[in-house]
Formats: sequence, C-alpha cells, structure tokens
Amino acid sequence: MKLTTYLIFMTVFSLLLIETSWARIKLVALPEREATVVRLDNPNATLLEEERVLTLQKGLNQVDFSWKEVQIRPDSIRLTVLKQPQAVTVLSVSYPPNEQALIWEIASPSGQQVRVRISYLLNKIDRLVTYQAVVRKDESNLDLSSFLVLRNFSGENLPASRFQLDYGETFESAVLSGETKRMQFFTAKKLPIKKRFTFDAAQLPWDPKQVGDNVGIPVYYELENTTDNGLGKHALWDGKARLYGEDGHGSTLFLGEDNAKFTPVGQPLKLTIGESRDIVVTQRQMRQQRLNERRNAKRNRVVLYDTKETMQVEIENFKEQTVFVTLKEPMPKEWEMKKASHSYKREHNREIHFDITVPAKDKVIVTYSYYRRNIRP
Amino acid sequence: MRKKALICLVAILLPPELHAKIDLVTLPVRDQVQLTIYNAADLTLVREQRTLTLKQGINRLEFGWADTLIDPTSVYLDAPQHAGKVNLLEVAYPPNVKGSAIWTIESQIAGAVPVDISFFTSGITWRAFYTCTLSTDEKTMRLQNYVRVDNRSGEDYLNAQTRVVVGKIHLLDQIAELAQRHPPYGMPSSIMDYRYAEAQEMIAEEKMMIAAEPPRLFRAAPKKIIKEGLSEYFLYSIEGTETIPNGWGKRLISLDVAKLPVRALYRYDEYRYGNQAQRLLFFKNDKAHHLGETPLPDGKVMIYRQLADKHLSYVAATNTQYIPVEQEVELDLGAARHVKVEPVLMDYRTENYVFDFKGNISGHERIQTWQLKLENNRELPVDIEIFQHFQHPHWTIQNPNNLPGSYEKVDLDTIKYRLTLPARTKEYLLTYTLTLFEGERRRNSR
Repeated sequence: MKLTTYLIFMTVFSLLLIETSWARIKLVALPEREATVVRLDNPNATLLEEERVLTLQKGLNQVDFSWKEVQIRPDSIRLTVLKQPQAVTVLSVSYPPNEQALIWEIASPSGQQVRVRISYLLNKIDRLVTYQAVVRKDESNLDLSSFLVLRNFSGENLPASRFQLDYGETFESAVLSGETKRMQFFTAKKLPIKKRFTFDAAQLPWDPKQVGDNVGIPVYYELENTTDNGLGKHALWDGKARLYGEDGHGSTLFLGEDNAKFTPVGQPLKLTIGESRDIVVTQRQMRQQRLNERRNAKRNRVVLYDTKETMQVEIENFKEQTVFVTLKEPMPKEWEMKKASHSYKREHNREIHFDITVPAKDKVIVTYSYYRRNIRP
Repeated sequence: MRKKALICLVAILLPPELHAKIDLVTLPVRDQVQLTIYNAADLTLVREQRTLTLKQGINRLEFGWADTLIDPTSVYLDAPQHAGKVNLLEVAYPPNVKGSAIWTIESQIAGAVPVDISFFTSGITWRAFYTCTLSTDEKTMRLQNYVRVDNRSGEDYLNAQTRVVVGKIHLLDQIAELAQRHPPYGMPSSIMDYRYAEAQEMIAEEKMMIAAEPPRLFRAAPKKIIKEGLSEYFLYSIEGTETIPNGWGKRLISLDVAKLPVRALYRYDEYRYGNQAQRLLFFKNDKAHHLGETPLPDGKVMIYRQLADKHLSYVAATNTQYIPVEQEVELDLGAARHVKVEPVLMDYRTENYVFDFKGNISGHERIQTWQLKLENNRELPVDIEIFQHFQHPHWTIQNPNNLPGSYEKVDLDTIKYRLTLPARTKEYLLTYTLTLFEGERRRNSR
C-alpha cells in the first residue's frame, strides 16, 4: 500500500475527544510529499528524505504519520524543520498501540505554514552494482560497463524520485514496490589490464601427478582504478563482474565471473576468471637436514636444534605466451633464508612470494633453502 | 515432458504510461543463433541476432523467458552495426510478474536494426570422450575423440552455430539457480526463494537419449571442428550450423589419429595404488604423435585392443584429464594382472648405537634389506617403475653392483627404480639395503 495514503488527518473521533479534553490541540494536514530523495550511499541501509509543508495552527498540533505495510525502521524517523516564519518546537513523539504510526506533537506560536523534511530508513530496498567487461583477444585491455540494479521490496512505491549515490549528481527514476530495475551506470573503454597466475602452496596440491587430475592454477586480471586508466573518478563498488573475451570473429566467449571488491581510487581491482590448466606447478621438498643440536646441562638430551630444508618448485608453461606466475610459499614460524634461485618478497612472517616470468613453452625451476630455527623436540 | 516455451520479444508500440491499452507486436524469429557451451559448468552463452523495428527515441520492449532455464540477469542487448546509437538503457522487472521484463531502448535510428541479444542458459551440456584401439603389439593406437552435445534447456535451437568450450571457469552462482530465482536479482537482505530442484534434477539425470538424427540433407563427409585457443579456454567450433531440439543429443567426431605411437609402463606405488602394479599408457600431445595442434579435453576413455582377426578385445575404461599441447598423457588402465611387484623385507638389523651420559640409548641405525620380487607374465617386454617411500628423510641406500640402472630421488623420502623386464620373466629380484638413522644418529644422514 502506498505510504502517502496513510499520511492522514487525525480521525473525526479523536477530534471530538480532543475538543472535550484538550481544547488547545489542533490538527494538521499532511500534504503530498515533495522532493523525495532516495539515498543509496550506504550499502547497509537506504535513507529516504521527503519534504512536506505543514499548516500549523497556534498552540499544540498533532501530526500523524503512519506506514502500514511499509518496511520503515520506526526509530529512524526524523523530522527537521526547514523553513518556519516563527520558530516551532517539537514537543514529543508518541507511538500509538498496535499501529505502525507515530504522532508528533508540535507547538507553534502562531498559525503558519512550515516546510519540514521527514527522513527515515527503509528496509528491503537497496542497490546492487554489477559489471560487464569485454576483454580484447590479446588480453591487454578491456571495456568495462557498470550497471546499477535498484531493488524495491519495501512496500513503498517510489514514482519519479531522485536517487543519490555516494558521489555525483542525483538522477531521477521510478521504482515501484516489488520492482527491480537495471540501469546503465557508466562505461569505460580500453582499460589496461595485467594477467596473473597464482600458485598458493598452502592451498593447492604440490604434485599434480599424485592427484591424477588437472590442478587448475587461478588466473586473474588486475586493473587499477586511476585516471590514467580511464577510471579514478570514484571508488568502484563491490558487485558481481562478468567477463567476456572477444573471439576475433565478432562474437565473444564468457571468460568467467567474480565478485569485484570495493576498490577506492588508486587501488587495484583483481578479477579471477578461472583456472589455467596450461600452467603446471610441481613442488617437492628435496632435503631436510638436522643441524646445530644443543643439549641440556647434563648434556644427555638434545633440547634445541635447527633443520636445513630445501624446496624445489617446477613451473611448466604449455602456453604460447609468456606468463607471470606468483608463487606463494608458506614458511615456518622462525626461519632464515640461506639460498634462493630467484628473488622473493616477504609478504609476512609466514609467507614469501616469488614473482616468476615463464617464457612460452618453457619451464622454470625455483629452488630455495632455509633454516628452520630453534625446534624443540 | 517439459512444456516447450520460446523466449519471446514483444514490442510495445506505445509509451509505458499507457500499458493497459498497448498493442503488442511479436517480433520475427531470431535470424541467427550461436551457442557457446561450457562443460566445466552448466552454462551456455547464447547470442542471437534479431532484427528489431525501432523508432527514434525511447522504445519499450517486453522480453519474456518463462519456462526456460535462462538467467535473466545475464541478458544484454547491443547493436554492433550501430555501436553507440542503440542503447539498452534500462531493464525493469515489474512487480508480481514472473519471467518477463520491460526493456527501455534508446535509438538514434528509425527502422529495422539488427541487434545481438546475449544471455546464459543452463540445460545444454557437452562432454568429450575417447575411443582408443591398441595395435596387437601395443606400440601404436588409434585415437578417436568425440564431442557430444545434449540439449535439455527447454528451448529448441534450430540452425545454431555451435561452439563448445574447454576450460575451468570461475562461477559465483549456478545458472540453473539464477534461472529459477524470483525476483531475478533476489531480495534485499532476505532469504531467497530458490526453486531450482526441478532444473537440477533434470540436469543431474544422466539418462542417455538415443541421438537419432532428425532428417537432414545428405553430407559426403562428417563435419569439421575448428579449434582455437582463447585466454585460458579452448574453443571447438562445429562447422556450419546444428539443429538441436530440446531433449535431443548429438555426437560429432573431433579427432581421429590412426597410428599414434604409445608407450606402456607398469608402475608400483603403494601410496597411490595399494599393493598391485598399475598398467599405464603414455603418449605425448605433440607433432611426433600426430597430435599437438590443440589441447585434449578431459573425458572418458574406452580402450580396446585390436586382435589379429579384426576382432576387438575390451581393455579398460578410464578418465583422462585435460592435456595441454606438449604435455604427456598418462592413461591409467587399472591394476595389472600379468605383471607383479612385491617388496619383501629379507633382513633386519640395528647397529651403531650411541648412548648418553646416563647410559640410555640416544640413537641408532636400522638396516633393512629389501627384495623387490618382479614378474612379467606377458608375451611382451615391459617397462616397470617402482616407487618406494621411507618413514623419514634420514636414510641412505646401498645398491648391489649388478643393478641395471640405479634409483632416482623423487623427493626427500621417496625414491624410484626403473627397469625393463623381458617377456615371460618368471621372477626377477631387485635387492637394496636401506639404512634409516634414528635419534641422534640422524645427524649423520645427508
């Protein structure tokens, strides 16, 4: 049911009651609302702001506001006086029993018209953002389109309202209760991307031969939300992104989908498309040697020792393009690198990353040896 | 039997304010349709070409997908021939209407506009399978690869350009679920009403329908399959167009190599196969094996052996993984009956004890003499690979001098022996001595 229909005069019954007991109380008409703004800038709640002109009489006025079958959070309802010839005072807010309604008691020094803004949080209405990207065949750049999806299941019809996102101008649209609407949001063409492969040794099996099935190596595209890249005007909201690839024959192939994370300006957005089976990673521990044994005072028991461990990771590239692979390698609590065939980056104490370039149809073997320090038997 | 329903596009000629009085015009059928079918997920990308008659300015169309398995959130429209001049501004899913949406299209062109409409559907599947026929001497094999497409989408696809995709795709939702979801984008922060059981059941059902071909023109040769790589996917495009009515399946040959050299190997590895030797077949996806142009998709493999009198004998069925170009294929034919490997512990000693100051044992060595008893009861010589796993990485091995080919270290606690056994070898003994260092003796291991 429409909210507006429930913004009503008080009933004749209450009028009579008031006449006899509270003679000073005047009734106020709630006119049609104006300038409705739906604020969608907070992903957790939608704020509605609407303006109304109240005709107040001198003395106490009661304004009745009800929202039957509309998903309003009652405690969020606020009344702000925007324009008043003479200052009015909101004395109290009361909630009648068993009704989805409230009554403002407003004191006015004279009979006058005041413009008020009523705002409230509305449940079951929100917006989603979705993305659609078309990637060039050589995977160097993509065209990004974004869509705004309004979902209104709040019980309140919103004909011709202004919608406000967390940046930019408001726009006008209409969304009825029960309706979902997908709108074009923005498009950005030819955004440069980088393609990356990740082998996480803590997650994936080390020996694909032992698994007996392909071990897919996750693949993602990375693009930066910067003005140089044709973006950078605002944060990219989180939402589902579907990626398509141009096939060189005027059609496209669906490459995969991922949840885009909220990406502030200047930050990279990573979109996983799928798993590569043309990159094969085989990891093996080749050596574990006990060193630096230390004994107790009686010298009859080893109380502390180190081990020297050697790891070997083979990356085979069966593709016809050079690939960039990140090896994520877990490390023990206390460790010290002794020798590494390639440079690495310490991500945190328990993980190091190797960024490896593997030429087309080639393989690279990464080996590293480290001391695991101070093991207690 | 599913109710057959067509995706319909209806043009609304009047502005939306006059919904009640509008004339509905059904558009002509699709001009062309392209199916891109995935096998790693229940997903098909449909791209159809239709000609819309548009007026300049805002046009409104109704798009309906009731009784199909289409994901309504995936529907997009573009006009490649009039890029930027025809835009799908808005898609509205009206309240209390299921399976239908109103499109708002802005057009700078008046008249007939060819447009591409793309969307995802579930219910169309494809899979690859192989038939292998070994030569009598087991040195070569005929390899045939088939592609089978099944349509249970609720929609007939007539004269569709058909492409199948090999690759592992990253999906957040099942298309079959999205197809059943109402409203299409779900409800804000509330539990969604998924009613996809029917669709799931239908897809899970592996009832094989006989692929009786509908009547068609006579063709002199089977259709070609054009293969190409794109990103992490491989695309097989079937020559010409295919008509795949709902409920029908279709099988096409994609590869046929007559004399592919193969290498047989028997492998013993208790960790993987238990205590029976496994029979394996190897070949490489490269030029030397008359392959190497495309990756081989994963699929079921049925292996037969050609007998002298042109009869066949069934060897085994297995699954093969996806094989990139230049990679070796390993077909596992199951446990071997005619080749045996049995490791036997022949001798056990402990030696070189060390003691601490209290006189307690603080270290020693365990010395094990193992005999690998090998048998080859076949008429052919066979290659055998034996994996041996040790309890920990502190070990050494002494090999007898007469051993043909020594061991290879696989990783810190695994070794591998490799040797060839002549035909009809009743018993061959391979002996090695393993020293395991325990306690403080571990310092001595290297």
